[in-house]
Amino acid sequence: MKEGSVYDEGFNDDDDDDSILLEFESGSDIEYDDTGLLRRDPGLASLSDEESGKGGNNGYYLDGATISSRNVVIPKDELYENDGVPKLSYRCLTTDQIYELMLERLERIQPIFDISYEDIIVLLQQYAWSEERLLEDWTENRDNVIVSCGLKLGHEPVASRGIRKHANFLCHICCEANKMKTFTLECGHEYCLECYQHYIKDKLLEGKIITCMSCPLALKNKDIDAIMGDNSSQKLMRSSIKGFIQKHSNHYKWCPFVDCNCIIQVGNISTLSEFPRFHLSPYVVCDNQHRFCFKCGLESHSPGDCHVAELWVKMAQLESANLNWVLTNTKECPKCGVNIEKNGGCNHMTCKSCAYEFCWICEGCWAEHGGGYYECTRFKKEDKNGAVESKNAIRKYTFYYKLFSEHENSAKLDWSLGLTVEQKVKALQENIGISWIETQFLPESIRALIEGRTTLKWSFPVAFYSDPSHNLTKIFVDNQSLLVSAVEDLSQLLQVKEPQKIIDRKLEFFNKARFVRSRDKALVECGRDLLCKGICIPHQ
Amino acid sequence: MASLPKRIIKETERLVSDPVPGITAQPHEDNLRYFQVTIEGPQQSPYESGVFQLELFLPDDYPMEAPKVRFLTKIYHPNIDRLGRICLDVLKTNWSPALQIRTVLLSVQALLASPNPNDPLANDVAEDWIRNEDAAIAKAREWTQLYAK
Ligand SMILES: [Zn+2]
Ligand SMILES: [Zn+2]
Ligand SMILES: [Zn+2]
Ligand SMILES: [Zn+2]
Ligand SMILES: [Zn+2]
Ligand SMILES: [Zn+2]
Ligand SMILES: [Zn+2]
Repeated sequence: MKEGSVYDEGFNDDDDDDSILLEFESGSDIEYDDTGLLRRDPGLASLSDEESGKGGNNGYYLDGATISSRNVVIPKDELYENDGVPKLSYRCLTTDQIYELMLERLERIQPIFDISYEDIIVLLQQYAWSEERLLEDWTENRDNVIVSCGLKLGHEPVASRGIRKHANFLCHICCEANKMKTFTLECGHEYCLECYQHYIKDKLLEGKIITCMSCPLALKNKDIDAIMGDNSSQKLMRSSIKGFIQKHSNHYKWCPFVDCNCIIQVGNISTLSEFPRFHLSPYVVCDNQHRFCFKCGLESHSPGDCHVAELWVKMAQLESANLNWVLTNTKECPKCGVNIEKNGGCNHMTCKSCAYEFCWICEGCWAEHGGGYYECTRFKKEDKNGAVESKNAIRKYTFYYKLFSEHENSAKLDWSLGLTVEQKVKALQENIGISWIETQFLPESIRALIEGRTTLKWSFPVAFYSDPSHNLTKIFVDNQSLLVSAVEDLSQLLQVKEPQKIIDRKLEFFNKARFVRSRDKALVECGRDLLCKGICIPHQ
Repeated sequence: MASLPKRIIKETERLVSDPVPGITAQPHEDNLRYFQVTIEGPQQSPYESGVFQLELFLPDDYPMEAPKVRFLTKIYHPNIDRLGRICLDVLKTNWSPALQIRTVLLSVQALLASPNPNDPLANDVAEDWIRNEDAAIAKAREWTQLYAK
């Protein structure tokens, strides 16, 4: 076999590759690209799976079609929905699963190297788990890689690696003279075990190779475990994989939800670029039912597309100082000065002390104001006046931002509501003896509610960037109100506490959740229409 | 306060008994982890004939964690910002517990001798440095006369 041919074939030009990966479910047989790491590579396959033959029972790529392990040819057309919108193929993984995949992969590539499994792990860590770059450098200058990665000294070893015993060793790190146990690598830099333990402990979470305290010679996993007296090296491996995911973020993304450790891996990343022209975003759902955008890494931001979301978030960062005032939850009554706490999304405030009614946004009297739920008409009037335009632009933004953030808060509250619903479901199963399947309407409802809130939240950026005089914008605003009331209705119903009552009202839950879903869909479609027709034009 | 680790005592003793030319480091009497440092500007550098005041602090985790060093004297240098913070590899990623206060201060002195505008901390200074090196060096000299006397 010619040197280099092993990887020349499969590792080139990953990101623009047209080949499409379908086979997610068969576990270790699948590889994806980027750095060649997780992609079925015919060259390597024939190396390690000699008996199966090239492409035998492993999926591999053909132009426009993929042969899966079941030998089914799937035409490229089926990677698109009926309306020509691309389909995303992805799966949800944990860091441990990714690490497992790496190890499986490692076994396959080991024959290429003439060094131990452990040493290859060190090399891969140094190369951020990028086999492609490693193999390239390895073929070019093997000895250089070995020294620069800290596998070997540039000169002859002066000591043998391992833990040593002494009567009283003077350690130059802690300067204590009575040390009994030490550790050294081939370099002969010898320090006490306590210092090494402290040193390693601090570095386990950094995910980088741990070297000798004095030189670039690398500690291997078994050295780390020997020094620490446990399997600490696994901790290092896990944090090292995190670095890998960050480095290869075009293929892998962390679920952005708090405390969720899921990683989504997209197989056909070449389709990602097709979404914007449909004003759609590549949404993925993790195993914990969190929906997020694989392109920008934000939570689901429909009806806005990635462009809307990006500009909106950027503006929020720029305006953050201005936004603080509007986001505080209490305000003094403009008339009597009593502190009024805001609750809910309504801008129509009534002072508990003097009964003065005013608008939360402009603090004007509500009677003269005559606005609806979203509209602060006073602010609209000022809009016509050129002199206050720039001030008004900020006002307009803060106004929409406030509504946006209110729905964000409500969505957060609904998350905690969702947790109590989980307990309710358990109670239903245990107390009334209802089967799991029969209680699924509850988590279903909560999902509809949270997704509805999220859609509402992101509908304000779309409204903000839309031409207010256009008829479709007005329809959009009407659709917002409809979703608001659908969502409020369902949210109210979810406050029901008694298990029996919940079961009795099952049909109501079902219908209200379904209504939220259909209102949600209508608003999303209307928003997309605004974008497609150029009525909503995100700008800075 | 916990007793001072032997390592710090040893290093302090040596800094006093065997000082590095052009560098002084005195531990504060109330806090033996806090050092007042002076570094003389290296010859043939724009900082020549200046004496720069610095502070050095040894964190609890020293020597596993690098010392914290900061210029107190105002200085015009692409790798030192307005707050006196220093962009130096051995103070960050390249720190190793086998290094010492002495080696760190020598590295700072070397940084004065050879500013590196391609790895800047003070971006505006670095830009000046790249755009017009002579003017930047003149300004560094001027600041040395003004503040480091
Ligand atoms: Zn020690
Ligand atoms: Zn060493
Ligand atoms: Zn998640
Ligand atoms: Zn997006
Ligand atoms: Zn009042
Ligand atoms: Zn109201
Ligand atoms: Zn108003």
